[in-house]
This record gives sequence, structure tokens and C-alpha cells, in this order.
Amino acid sequence: MSPISPEAAATLPHGINLLEGRLFQANEMHEAFRILRAEAPVHWNPGTDRFNGFWSLVKYEDLLHVSRHPELFISSKGIGGSGLRYPPPGQGEGSSSIITMDPPRHVKMRRLVNKGFTPRAVLQMEPKIRAVTNTILDRVQGRDSCDFVLEVSSQLPLAVICGMMGLEEEHWPAMFDFTNQILGSGDAEYQARVAPDKVGTFEGATLTAADGNRRMNGFFRDILADRRAHPREDDLVSILVESEVDGERLTEGDIVAFCNLLVVAGNETTRNAISGGLIVLCEHPEERARLQADPSLMPSAVEEILRWTSPLHHMSREATADTEIRGQKIAAGEKVIMWYPSANRDEDIFEAPYRFDITRDPNEHLAFGIGEHFCLGAGFARAEVRIMFEELLRRFPDIQVDGLPERLRSNFINGVKHLPVRLTAAR
Amino acid sequence: MSRRVEVDQQMCEGHGKCQAAAPEVFEHRDEDDLSHVILDEVPDALTAKVDRAIRLCPRQAIRWVS
Repeated sequence: MSPISPEAAATLPHGINLLEGRLFQANEMHEAFRILRAEAPVHWNPGTDRFNGFWSLVKYEDLLHVSRHPELFISSKGIGGSGLRYPPPGQGEGSSSIITMDPPRHVKMRRLVNKGFTPRAVLQMEPKIRAVTNTILDRVQGRDSCDFVLEVSSQLPLAVICGMMGLEEEHWPAMFDFTNQILGSGDAEYQARVAPDKVGTFEGATLTAADGNRRMNGFFRDILADRRAHPREDDLVSILVESEVDGERLTEGDIVAFCNLLVVAGNETTRNAISGGLIVLCEHPEERARLQADPSLMPSAVEEILRWTSPLHHMSREATADTEIRGQKIAAGEKVIMWYPSANRDEDIFEAPYRFDITRDPNEHLAFGIGEHFCLGAGFARAEVRIMFEELLRRFPDIQVDGLPERLRSNFINGVKHLPVRLTAAR
Repeated sequence: MSRRVEVDQQMCEGHGKCQAAAPEVFEHRDEDDLSHVILDEVPDALTAKVDRAIRLCPRQAIRWVS
């Protein structure tokens, strides 16, 4: 990434530049956010020759305000902040998915599938989620150690979303790879398909995301052709094929973009909530012991894990008119970024926000956002995290993190790439 | 004084937070898996509960009708 100019850097509060993925990879963002909440709750983070600058929002109430006004703060000019340039080049192909769509079309498109994601739909899927969880845990049963991300945490959300879309199991590893390319494009580990001299560069990241999207979209064009030739009743792809909005069938591009979003959003974030959850439970042995002694605390523990990990670092919006936030003037066309890990540790909202408390109440965290773009998969995410920890701690009560987590270099996704764990009690 | 409140059925996704916050005013119905207002006029005594439901609604689907 090209550095910001010395003049611009001089304006940064305490030199904190939230464009830097390194800050997040090192898990040092919480201290930066604490300083910003106290001293610069709405501040301008200058851009570079490749990224726009943006207004950084770090207070809970300011995130609520922006989320409640989707016409004033729109998503269709990009949602992944200037740091990630999401959707990256090649994603759109003239179509966009609901995550980069504004009212009124957004809700019409969302309603095509949202009955499949309601609390009731999740409840009906629970036995299946538990069965899949145990199949995953069967594979590591009898071993002393494993890479928790590759073998456990990534596998459950991947299986659930791919199952809902009717994808055969042979395709799931590809969905995992494409997702890593798209959302982890800035991390050298996922840039294996670009030329060696491009790895670790801005161009390498751009090419990686475009390659991941090209492959994902190509895959779904084939799936789409298959579903049209051989209609099925109950999977999400088939529902989209049959759907109409304002009396018109969705285009191939619309459906492919929708499928891309469902797979990517469905498997990446929950993976990181589970990995981050295990890390925080191991770091707080007293809270963990309390949970293992009383599994009925699990739903509330899941909420605290979500608050604590905030799997998504940010969403960005663009102002459509001149406005003000916390007295700061925001001009039409300027970007604002909502930092979820900061809102979720806001001292004005959460008592002792740096204390991990599995019985925290109230715990109205914003890990899933709120309002128009509230995470469609929140119910599944909650169920997957809860069921995974119920089964994991029952079957592996002595599991421990056994080495340093390898974190994703990203200011967008709070990702854990690898997590060495010891599955059995140390001998 | 009393006021009216409404749930935008296009936005509601049946999370049930409003019923938990103000069961006197909101009801989750099985037939459509959505929340409904069951009280035409909300008395002042319930205003705080409804305000809480409005704030907590994941989809921000609830609003006072002026």
C-alpha cells in the first residue's frame, strides 16, 4: 500500500491510520479505537493516491445514526471502505448484490430469500447443524492437535451455506478458496495465483480479489445453467432462478452476484466468530469454567463472543447530501466508515467494556449491524457458534490454543487464518 | 395522551425483539412469522417500552405514527 503523504500523516490523531491492515493483523486496533473514542470520535482519515479518505466513526450512537438512514448514507458506492475497494474490480460485471444496494430495491431483493433465514427457519435447521458439527468433530476425534480454522471452525459455516444453496460437497473446498481470495485479497497467503513479484503488493491484492470473483462467478454461471435445465425446489439458487422483482425475472448477473454474496458472507464471518470465540475463552479460564459448568449460559456467552470478536471490522457508506454527525460537517459524496469493534467497546454503552463477561446483560452489540442491512445470516451465525461450542466443549473439554493465532492482514475482516490447538489434556 | 405505533411488514424479519421489549404492544404471529401491533393506541405508561423496542429492532422496522 502506498503511504499517505507526510502532510496528511501529520493530521492523524496519535498517528493512527485505520487504512493499515497491519494494525488489525497485530490485534492492536482496540487501543487505537479507545484513544479515538476519547479524543477524536469523528475524524478525517486522509486517503492516498489509491484510496479515498473517509470520516471515521467509532461511537455506538453514530453507527446507529448512519445505519438508520440508508437513503442518506448509501451502500451502492461501495461498502468495504477505501482500504479494500470492495466490491473489487471484476465483482460487479454490471450487477450488484444486496449488500451494495440501496432502498427501495434492496428490500425487494432481500425478501426473495429472507424467509429462509428467519429465527423459525434456523430453528428447523438446528438438528442438521448439530449433526454436521459432530461429523466435523468426528474427523479430529482421537487426535492430539489440529489447525482449528482449517479443520473445524471454517467447516461448519461452509457446510451450512453450501447446503442451503444445494452445492455438492465436492465443490465446498473451492468455495472456501474463492472466499479467501475475495475477502483475504490483501494477505500474501491468499495471493498464490498472482506472479511472485506481485505478491504483497497493491496490484497483487487487486488481481487476487478479481481472480477469486471471476472463478466464483464462473462457477455459479454453470450452476445456474444446471438449475435451469434440472429445476430443484428447495435450494437458494433455484429460488432465485424462479424469482421476480417488479414483474421481471432476475438477470443471470443478478443471480450470480447474489450467490457470490451468500457464499462469501455465509462462510467467512462465522468462521472467525468461532475461531475468535475459542481464543477468548482460552484467554479467560474463569469465564470458560463457568460456561463449562453451566451450558445454559451458552446463548449469552455467544452474544459476548460476538461483541468481543466483532467478526467484521467495518462497513462504509457514502453521504448523499451535506449533513452532520456529532457536530462535524460531512459533505455530500464523502465516505464514512463505521467501526464495529469500537462501537462494541464504547464506554458510554457497555459497562466495563474490556471485561469479557459471558453473562453480560444488556448486550446490544452491533456485530451484525442494524437496520436496512442487518446481517441476513445473523440467526444462522448465532446457531452455528452456539452449537459448535456446545458440542466442542462437551467432546473436547480440555481443548487449548497451542501457539499464536495467525491473523488476516485486513481492516475489513477480523480473520484468523490458522489456529493451532491441543485437543486433549496436556500430558 | 396516547400514540400509535407501526411495524413495517416489508422490513420485519420476525426477530421478536419488540415482543420481548413490549409484549403488551407487539405480538409475533406464527401464520406469517412477523411481528404485529396488537394495541391501537399506546398509553403513555408503555411509551418507554415501545421506545426500547424501536431502538432494539434489528431491522429498524418500528416507528411512531404522528
